[in-house]
Amino acid sequence: MMTIAGDALSPSDAIAGDGDQALAVRASAGDREAFARLLERHYDTIHRIAWRWCGDGTEADDIAQDVAVKLGRAISGWRAEASFPSWLYRIVLNTVRDRQRARASERRRVEAYAVQKLVDAQGGGGADDDPAARLWSAVGSLPDRQRDAVLLVHGEGLSHDEAAGVMGVSEGTVSFHIHEAKKKLRTMMQASEDELS
Amino acid sequence: MSDEFDLDILKTVKTPRPDAETRDRAMREALAAFDDEKKSAATQGSASGSRLMTILQRSWSTTMETLSKGRLMSGTAIATILAVPLAGYLAFMVMNDGYRPGFTGSQPMELAAGNTDDRVRREVARPAPEPAPREAEERDRSIVLSEAMPQAAPPASYVQQGALAKRSLVGDGSAKVMPGMERLSRDRFESFETSSVRAVLEDPVSTFSIDVDTASYAVIRRALMEGRLPDPDSVRVEELINYFNYAYPLPDSREAPFGVNVSVSPTPWNADTKLMHIGIQGYDIVPAERPAANLVFLIDVSGSMDAPDKLPLLKSAFRLLLDKLDARDTVSIVTYAGNAGTVLEPTKADEREKILEAIDNLQPGGTTAGAAGIEQAYKLARQARVEGGVNRVMLASDGDFNVGASSDEELKRIIEDERDDGIFLSVFGFGKGNYNDQLMQVLAQNGNGTAAYIDTLAEAQKTLVEEAGSTLFPIAKDVKIQVEFNPETVAEYRLIGYETRALKREDFNNDRVDAGDIGSGHSVTAIYEITPVGSPAVQNDPLRYGETEQAAASGDASDEYAFLKLRYKLPNETKSHLMTTPVGPAFDKASLAALSTDAQFSIAVAAFGQKLRDTDAVANYSWDEIRELAAGARGADPYGYRSEFLRLIGLAESLDR
Repeated sequence: MMTIAGDALSPSDAIAGDGDQALAVRASAGDREAFARLLERHYDTIHRIAWRWCGDGTEADDIAQDVAVKLGRAISGWRAEASFPSWLYRIVLNTVRDRQRARASERRRVEAYAVQKLVDAQGGGGADDDPAARLWSAVGSLPDRQRDAVLLVHGEGLSHDEAAGVMGVSEGTVSFHIHEAKKKLRTMMQASEDELS
Repeated sequence: MSDEFDLDILKTVKTPRPDAETRDRAMREALAAFDDEKKSAATQGSASGSRLMTILQRSWSTTMETLSKGRLMSGTAIATILAVPLAGYLAFMVMNDGYRPGFTGSQPMELAAGNTDDRVRREVARPAPEPAPREAEERDRSIVLSEAMPQAAPPASYVQQGALAKRSLVGDGSAKVMPGMERLSRDRFESFETSSVRAVLEDPVSTFSIDVDTASYAVIRRALMEGRLPDPDSVRVEELINYFNYAYPLPDSREAPFGVNVSVSPTPWNADTKLMHIGIQGYDIVPAERPAANLVFLIDVSGSMDAPDKLPLLKSAFRLLLDKLDARDTVSIVTYAGNAGTVLEPTKADEREKILEAIDNLQPGGTTAGAAGIEQAYKLARQARVEGGVNRVMLASDGDFNVGASSDEELKRIIEDERDDGIFLSVFGFGKGNYNDQLMQVLAQNGNGTAAYIDTLAEAQKTLVEEAGSTLFPIAKDVKIQVEFNPETVAEYRLIGYETRALKREDFNNDRVDAGDIGSGHSVTAIYEITPVGSPAVQNDPLRYGETEQAAASGDASDEYAFLKLRYKLPNETKSHLMTTPVGPAFDKASLAALSTDAQFSIAVAAFGQKLRDTDAVANYSWDEIRELAAGARGADPYGYRSEFLRLIGLAESLDR
């Protein structure tokens, strides 16, 4: 399996730590302690990703919990030639998405409320003055693919290539989504600037 | 800010700490899951199952990679697959596959420790030929490598285990696969993917229920008005299309309670396909029997109603209701804010201009003085009372209902007295924020009316129109449509929208299967995009081993596009009636312009909805072109819905760049 890796990429330091891969290999082979350590190491990361994607603390807690349990069940199926970080991202993103989908019908009814909540969470306490929080809030309103691409690359620091791996699309597609997202964000941020001034 | 547009500041967004308690619980549950998994790994799998598993595995690994993103399966899910034809299942997955950052298809395995079969090793070294789109996989490996390199060589035992894992993936026939496969997204198949293109030879029959509401339109409108593109999942194209009223022609004969209009026209967004447009128009059969209505609107125009989803929405809702009233009915309007005032004395409902003007002139401002308003409203209601008819005060407010000098008790008493006198009170709540649900409920209950919350115009239609005026009568129920396409003329088809309304083929003739209703005067539209045989737009390659004999339709039917069947029941019947229409060349229209403006408009809405859903088919069809088509088909548009739609196109366009 090592022979395939001719073209080494810059390591994704976003969530990968030394030895994760090794721990994951052991955990997938049934080593309970290895799994516990792996989860211990990454729980906060999982929570952070979940929060960045959904923007709600309680929801992020729920998602992180779901992901943890899923990892427990799925780690034995993890393949050693898959990158653990990519795999973890996929699980977290899928979980976020599944929850959002499951709530879609409910959300349709209370969408207005949810938006309000997001605005409240971000808007209060001078968050308006924080360009990062405003930008992040705008990113949350992008279409899923664009949001994923932007958050993976710019929020999590993955390369386009790595983000493509997580999203299961080509690198070009990731670049395209980011390009599109930038266009939209520019309009949105401009509009909110105008509002503020 | 737009000059130095730095997305990387996203990294600095502060993230809250996870909840410690949740974290601990999550750790415990995860470990429990881990243990369970190990246990089941040890117990599952049987000799008899292994052969099947090998087959499954083989098709699976290639398919998974074809999909470039896999789906994890639980043991239960695998059992399901084994019970259904594998090919069908996989085909379904391929057909319905939309974008999801998927879980790599990681087949769990029980490591057959020590098994170093040569054949297996060869397969590891030279993996089976894999279909092209494998970037994700390659990338995974690259990342692994780049991580593995800088770090000291991992302990040999890990490498060994990794190699074993890899081997059993390839499948040596003895691997006992079962544990650990969890389908992460149980709702994937239920979730709503845009209908894919179907090949007529494989799937000639399309069945769906006309059951439609219009909520999606209000949702996307709200999103656009608030300056964001709607979530694609919230866009249900058929609800957008059916939001608008279309006056399709009615047949002369009244054998059925509605008429069916079919036309086949060019597709505006694709020169190589055609649109089959089905417009169903219900007869307006009951207005003569409807009781007259005396409606007094008591409208809160206080400052808090100054929000897009309050007074403006209420105005739109009012228009909608007015559309259902006629000369027998009277409408009055009382406002309350600061001083209660009569805005409109009882007026015959056919004096639309006068009523609409009164509505349009409503301006928010001032504080709420509810009690005075209610008294005034009841006074007008008594003045215009209709014996034997509907007498009702309809209170519309955001719940910020200040009863002024009167106490709640006194207000309740007034409402009860009037109720006993035959004047009922219905309460309609608007807006979000300070909506006082409880008070509104109490008011309505005491007034013998309903309290409804109106957040969308569709909701307004349901509650205001149906409840208040009793003007909406179903004329047919359980209406289902089934279309059988002719493989000699049509290669592929795609139903636009109705993803969530699909019925099974056999459900069409099963009268016990529920479907949607058509109300008096309602219209329902469904549009198929069809690809004629021989068109360059055909997406599915012909089957090499497909059936060579064509569907043996009757001799002179060979130039028909499709056979349209429609089933319905009359409101008080349990047995369905069948209507059929062969759709032949006579239904062909040479150009879009040859269609009715209503049909053209519905096609523009279909394009709009698909574009919001990011549907590939309309990727090259611009917002401008949609607007042009819609503007040309706007027609009379007495209530401005279609003009509003044009504005929405503009908003969507500006947000989509």
